[in-house]
Parts: sequence; C-alpha cells; structure tokens
Amino acid sequence: MSHIHIPDGVLPLWLVALGWVLALGWTTVAVRFASAEDLRRRVPLIGAMAALMLVGMSSEIIPIAYHINLTVLAGILLGPWLSVVTALVVNVMLGLVGHGGATVIGLNTLVIAVEMTTGWLLFRTLTAVLGRRRCGLAAGVSTVVALALSTTLLVLIVAVGGSPAAARESGAFDPATLSFENPFSQGIATNVLLTAEEGPEPAALSVKRFATVVYALGSIGWVLEALITALIVGFVARVRPGLVFEGAPAQPSRAPLGDEGVHH
Amino acid sequence: MDLSVVDRSATLGTSTLHRVVPHAKLIATALLLAAVMVSANLLVVAAITTLLCATVVGLRLRWRPLLTLALYPGIFGALYAFAGGLGLLTAALIITKAVTSALVVLILMFTTPYPQVFAPLQRFLPAVIGDALLMTYRSLFLLLEKFSHTLTAARLRAGVVGVSPVRSAATITRTLGGVLLYSIDLSQRTHDIMHLRGYDGRLVITPLSSQSPASDRFVVTVAAALAVTAAGWRIWWPVLNPFAWLPLAVGVLILAATLLSRLPRRA
Repeated sequence: MSHIHIPDGVLPLWLVALGWVLALGWTTVAVRFASAEDLRRRVPLIGAMAALMLVGMSSEIIPIAYHINLTVLAGILLGPWLSVVTALVVNVMLGLVGHGGATVIGLNTLVIAVEMTTGWLLFRTLTAVLGRRRCGLAAGVSTVVALALSTTLLVLIVAVGGSPAAARESGAFDPATLSFENPFSQGIATNVLLTAEEGPEPAALSVKRFATVVYALGSIGWVLEALITALIVGFVARVRPGLVFEGAPAQPSRAPLGDEGVHH
Repeated sequence: MDLSVVDRSATLGTSTLHRVVPHAKLIATALLLAAVMVSANLLVVAAITTLLCATVVGLRLRWRPLLTLALYPGIFGALYAFAGGLGLLTAALIITKAVTSALVVLILMFTTPYPQVFAPLQRFLPAVIGDALLMTYRSLFLLLEKFSHTLTAARLRAGVVGVSPVRSAATITRTLGGVLLYSIDLSQRTHDIMHLRGYDGRLVITPLSSQSPASDRFVVTVAAALAVTAAGWRIWWPVLNPFAWLPLAVGVLILAATLLSRLPRRA
C-alpha cells in the first residue's frame, strides 16, 4: 500500500511536477554524495536490489494485490544514498509495465525513498540499542514504522491534491446532457465560442474516508511485510552477518585477470 | 506480472509498430498519455481505449497478457475511487484512465526492446540511473526464474497444498532469503564481467535507425491528433460534451472493423 497506485491525470499537474522536481533533486544530491567510483562499482548491486524489490512486488501473498515491497530490506543493505537511486529505478520500471501511473513516478519515488531511508535509519538505531541478536525484531519494528510513515505521506499527498481532475473543472461526462442531434447544425465556431453551460456538480474527495480505508487495509500489509522482513533479516544475519550490519559490500576495484601488474 | 511475455513480444515481434523507430514511439506514448491526462470525460477516454484495443488487435499483438497487465492498475484505481467516496461516474473515469494509460505504456513495451526504450532516456538521466535501469531489467529475469524454481522446490519439499496465507508467507520468506543471497552474488559476478569488458561508468546503446520514416510520421501524427482532440474537448467541453458519444461510436466502429478483418476466413 505504500506507493501511490493513482492513475495519470487524477492528481493536479502542479503536484505531479513538484514530485518530479523533489525526486530528481534528491536523486542528484544522492548521486553527488556517493562517490563516482563507488557508484560505478555498485551499479550491479543497485540493479540486483531493484530487481529483488520487483520480484517481491510481483509475488502476491494474498490475492488480490497484497504484495510485499522489500523496501526496508533494500534500504538496510544499500544505505541512504543508494536507496534513493534504487527507489527511482524501481518506479520507472513499475511505470513501464503500467503498475502505477507514469506521471506519478516522481511522487512514488519520494514515498518509497522516505520508506527506505527511514527503515535504514531506524534499523541502525534499534540494532545499536537492542543488540545484533535481536536484529529481526529491529527490522520488523523499523518496517512497521517506515510503512506507517510512508502511508501517512501518501494520504497527505492525496489530501493536498484534493478532488480529482474530473471534478475540479466540471468537464466530466454527464448522461443528462447527452444529445443525439447533429453537433454541427449551428456551425462549429458559433457553437464552440458562444455557448457556455454549467457542468454537473463536482464529486468531492473524502480524505477522511480514504485515510480510513488506506490505514485499515495498509496495517495488515505492514504486519505481513514486517514479519517477512524480520524473518529474512534474521536468516541473512545468521548466514552472512556482514551484509546486514555493514551493508552490501562494494565490489573491490581490481584489475582484470592477467592485467594485475599493469598500471593504467 | 509475467514480464517475460513483454520481453518476448518486444524482441521477437514483427508487426508494423515493431518497425517504427523507438523515439517516434516514445513521442507518441507521451502524446497519448497527455491525451488521457487532460480528458475529464469518461466517453472520450473510453474512445481512446477502444482505439488502442483496435491497435492491439490490428497489429496481432499478444492481447491476452497485454490486457491482463493493463487491467491490473484498474484494481488500484477502483480502490482509490471508492475509498475516496467519489461518485460512480468519477470512479468509472478513474478506472478507465488507469487502464488506458497502462495500455499506452504496455503497447510501447510490447513492441520495443527495453534497451531501445532506455536509450533515449539515458540522454537526460545521470549515467548511473540509465545503467541501473539496464542492470535491473537484466537481473529481473534472472531473479524471477531463480525465485520461481526455488519456490517450486520449497513448495514440493514443504508439501504446501492449497492457499494458506501463513504457510505461503513462510515459504515465500525462505525463498526470498535465498534469492537475496543469490542476487548479491549475481551483482558481484556482473561487476567482474563488466570490469573485464572495460566498463567505465556508462553502458552505451546504439539507437535503432528508422526503417520506414513514413510509418514513424504516421504514428506520431495519429497520436498528436488524439492529443489535440482531447485537449480541445477539455477546453470546449460545455459545447462538446452532449456529443461525447460520437468519438466512442467511431472508436467502437473501428474496433469492430478491425476484429472482423482479423477473423479467420473459411477456405
């Protein structure tokens, strides 16, 4: 439930544009903070983590449409800067298969990046407080809090966006006004320029009702995601503890085989 | 989401749209998305939907997976509309918009290999984002295959039968843990291979050249005409809305004619 499954053309243009500006700004800062060499070495890792998130999203736990995101898990492994880049990549991929509108990629990136960075920060703090043996619990709590925060951000975005475009300008379809007469009987210019009618009453969005439904359905998802993240983190901490507590390693910068003695 | 179907169709397809140069298809996609975005009339959006369906049928694209993927966003559109307490007509508009915009993007992805979609985007995005997109797409199919195989093995060994959410979640969790470790190893191997091949911070993709400039122009012109019509409808809706049945009727006629032309003929 954490990312916005709102189609194109529903949220106002200024909000969509603001989402893009903020998401691209945050990504640019993230790319600047991670060094060029580090980024070059971690591109395959970003790709693998983004692909893993997409695999998680493609496997429904409960039909219909309850899927896991693995955002907090990826955040723990990637750290705050690479998480932002991964969030953008995942949302572009989702947009290209029609899963979420293409124009809301910016807003979705913000929501998922907040989820990943919050999860990473909380996990680091909680493991420092609770100890490494309780890393599963730390991951579970971090996931619930991060998802609750991102869902609240989602509700805020919808509340700020207000009623959908169809209602705002009253250009919506109204069966009562349908006419089967010749549309050009009075000439196109006369009709278009001189006629003005009042449209149908706009349908107002109930933010309270929307928030109630999202929190009610979302909380089940938070618990499921938290359980799964906690179990995976616990499993990985047992077999490869370095991945969880120090993040996924950057690949060593080494010369190609047979080129070890050559200085470039 | 069976994404391998999308990749197969994009790579192996031979329709007219497959031969259109990718940047023309990207421009057409942007124009059609703009048409869906500006439309506030249900029947106008439905007209665009029928025209897109006619394109899918006319080009003999794999309609079943394409429409299934396109309908998926409709579920979330419905959730948003009904959760927000919007009226029935507004809800129908939001669902139709969700399905139509997904249809637009999916037609692009079903007819264009993914590196060619990302190639023009690489010009505007930082190198790391463009490369990460390509790496994600490559890793995705490997991980999906690994996940599927491991899940089947886990289910067979655990003897999971029927739909039990708790057991299903436990099995998925174990499988994902294994796939996570596999993905880390995969990224290390990929890095080594890229390093050996002389990767220096940007994967270069050569854009395809045009095979038929007339087809390229036709696709962009049709998309532009639809976008202009949708924008005009949005501006002059008080006059045009009573005749909103007209574009839908035209769309349905075109779809019916396309379906009839594609029916198998008796010898």
